[in-house]
Amino acid sequence: MNTEFDSNDLQGNILRGYRRDLVRYLILEVDNPAAARRFLAAAVAGNNDAVPAITREKSWTRKPGFCFNIGLTYEGLRALGTPSDCLATFPTEFVQGMTHRAIKLGDFGTSAPANWAPPFNHPERVHVVASVYANDTPQLDQVQDQVARAFNVLGVRNGYNLEDDKVYFGYVDNISQPRFNRIDDPDQAKVDEPIDPLGTILLGYPTRFEDVLFRVPSPAELGHNGTFNAFRILAQDVAGFERYLDTAADALLRHPDVDQLLAPGEEDRIGAGLDRHGALREIVAAQMCGRWRNGVSYEASPDAAVVPDPRAPKFRTNFDYDRTSRCPAGSHMRRVNPRGGPIVQRIANYTRRLVRRGMSYGPRDVDPRKPENDDQEWGLLGNFIGANLGAQFEAVMCDWLNLGLQDPNITGSNDPLFGANSPESSWFDLTLRNGGTIRLRGFPRFVTTRGGAYLFLPSLPAIRYLSELNG
Amino acid sequence: MTNDGGWFDRFVDSLPERGWFKFLSTYVVVPYWVWRDPKPKLPGGPRASAQPSENVQRMMNLIMPLKDSSPIGRAKAALAIAQNVDEIFAGLDNVGTVHTARFLLLDDYICMISVYDGDFSNYIRDFIATIGSVFDEVVSLVEGGDDLIPTTHNVERFIDWVHAHDLFQAPDFPTDLFGLQDTASGRSPDSPPHELRSLPRELILQLNANPNISLGGGYRAYPGFSAAQVRGKFGVGW
Ligand code: HEM
Repeated sequence: MNTEFDSNDLQGNILRGYRRDLVRYLILEVDNPAAARRFLAAAVAGNNDAVPAITREKSWTRKPGFCFNIGLTYEGLRALGTPSDCLATFPTEFVQGMTHRAIKLGDFGTSAPANWAPPFNHPERVHVVASVYANDTPQLDQVQDQVARAFNVLGVRNGYNLEDDKVYFGYVDNISQPRFNRIDDPDQAKVDEPIDPLGTILLGYPTRFEDVLFRVPSPAELGHNGTFNAFRILAQDVAGFERYLDTAADALLRHPDVDQLLAPGEEDRIGAGLDRHGALREIVAAQMCGRWRNGVSYEASPDAAVVPDPRAPKFRTNFDYDRTSRCPAGSHMRRVNPRGGPIVQRIANYTRRLVRRGMSYGPRDVDPRKPENDDQEWGLLGNFIGANLGAQFEAVMCDWLNLGLQDPNITGSNDPLFGANSPESSWFDLTLRNGGTIRLRGFPRFVTTRGGAYLFLPSLPAIRYLSELNG
Repeated sequence: MTNDGGWFDRFVDSLPERGWFKFLSTYVVVPYWVWRDPKPKLPGGPRASAQPSENVQRMMNLIMPLKDSSPIGRAKAALAIAQNVDEIFAGLDNVGTVHTARFLLLDDYICMISVYDGDFSNYIRDFIATIGSVFDEVVSLVEGGDDLIPTTHNVERFIDWVHAHDLFQAPDFPTDLFGLQDTASGRSPDSPPHELRSLPRELILQLNANPNISLGGGYRAYPGFSAAQVRGKFGVGW
């Protein structure tokens, strides 16, 4: 195994985020393989003004005007002429594609692939998803024009960063990420979470599982230093979520144990000027996520969202869970990363880490909380990146985010914010100061899958390899 | 099938019991059907379900052909399990999602039968990560197993292999078979809808592709609970 790595060989969006204001995803079909391969050759070489250069991991001295990266589906690899004996070395879930894994991923009912927005309702035609990051739209348009000369553009998705790194539903996001040896990321300087081995995020390196190596697709030139990405378009029902917070707060106000959730007179610690109803809404939102909407960890500060320095590492990243945690085991944060806390699959702590890159989408000039705008769609363009889709993304989705197998007290329930819920069967236990719980019920599915694809993110040498195929 | 008997119906109904017909169907009719309408082998194990209670207490029936099914070969297999009992218990403890597991020697096969919670791939992967060396020993006794050793370096292949050797679980609603066959052949399930009449034929063809199957997914005497829920309730820790 070659564990040496040259960061210059990696695409730049894997180990860190670009922190640009805008993103555009181009969903592409390879209708002329020769033209597509010529494009890839020029994009790797980076010496052709008419073709955007692939952005590499190497840190830059001057920020480029835009960043450009690509991911390919199995169908895309095939369309470019990858020989079938090489294709056979890719993992089954990638070969089958995201739509064939629908039930596992909670993509049923309104989220079923048959209901996905074009072009994702024709997954066999989705070959390449290219991403362009920039701070202004003309840059994005220019790159799109260049790409359109070599590929058939099936669809375009635009995303943007909301203020303060927020996502719809109002939470600050992009706080916790895995961090890696040999990668120097200023964003993570004060984080004291365990270091993740490179094999979490790149093919060809030791993984968090002792002795376990994930298969590197062959030839090594194609597989080594590559990784996989679950690209997901997730619509968020903002009005529905806020409505549910109202319903929950109404019910809590009448609940005999409500003082164990919020001591009378402490509303100001939840938010300046909040009344009791308003403060209870925020407590429900915070327990469901595992963070207050301002990003402060619920575990680190269970009784107050208002803290002197919400950006201090102890409120952001440096905390852990245990059997007495106030952060509910069913919260989003604890489901997707139980950290060092107690879980049923004792072997699995820290083995299912995901690198997340996401931006929001939807009309910016209308208020998503107003019911009269219900016909519009807002959400997240999410990338969940890891060296093994089955061991990381799917493992989190099917046993932890949904089902809740990691803790017998939540087994049979789904992530309250992002799970495949229905009002008839959903439940979530709020934790109380005295160790008790109050069970919330009746919340609908707040997030619906609108599209997506399993993508292989090749290294730079791999893109060169693909550009030299024929057929 | 009709009950009100015209002589022809009675005659047709009696066909399966007639020697000449059995002969004809076994050696001519079924082989001809199989040639005309081959069925892909259906994948093993329980199917993914949207219903949480269906995703716990799931059954694995792993049937692996022994390389050497002579008494000596069987003794080796027996020894391999006996020598690893401690590891197996340690594995059950660390993976946490298994209710019961047992090994059987049955004709030319070594079988591993278990009841587990959640996703099949996660269950197998976590086991390899915990006690991969035990799996190495077991698959070294099995035809086609050598390519999988060490299992810790062949996780993806091992999971696919186990999936392929796990018995197909015939659906509890017989007509669901149509949809499964459609999906396996890359068609959209039940469109166009199938004629109920063709079910016996489809079943025979499928049993040609999957001769060993599990009849139904196994029956639970009480609603599905996870192993950890059971342990938690009895206060034995999870
Ligand atoms: C619309 C969909 C989603 C939204 C709006 C969302 C939002 C959030 C927010 C606000 C946080 C806390 C901020 C942070 O710690 O960085 C978070 C954390 C996280 N989310 Fe999500 N999420 C979504 C879906 C998902 C899905 C589907 C997965 C996994 C399959 C996931 C995995 C994670 C992980 C791994 C963390 C970090 C937890 C930690 O390390 O402690 N998220 N998410």
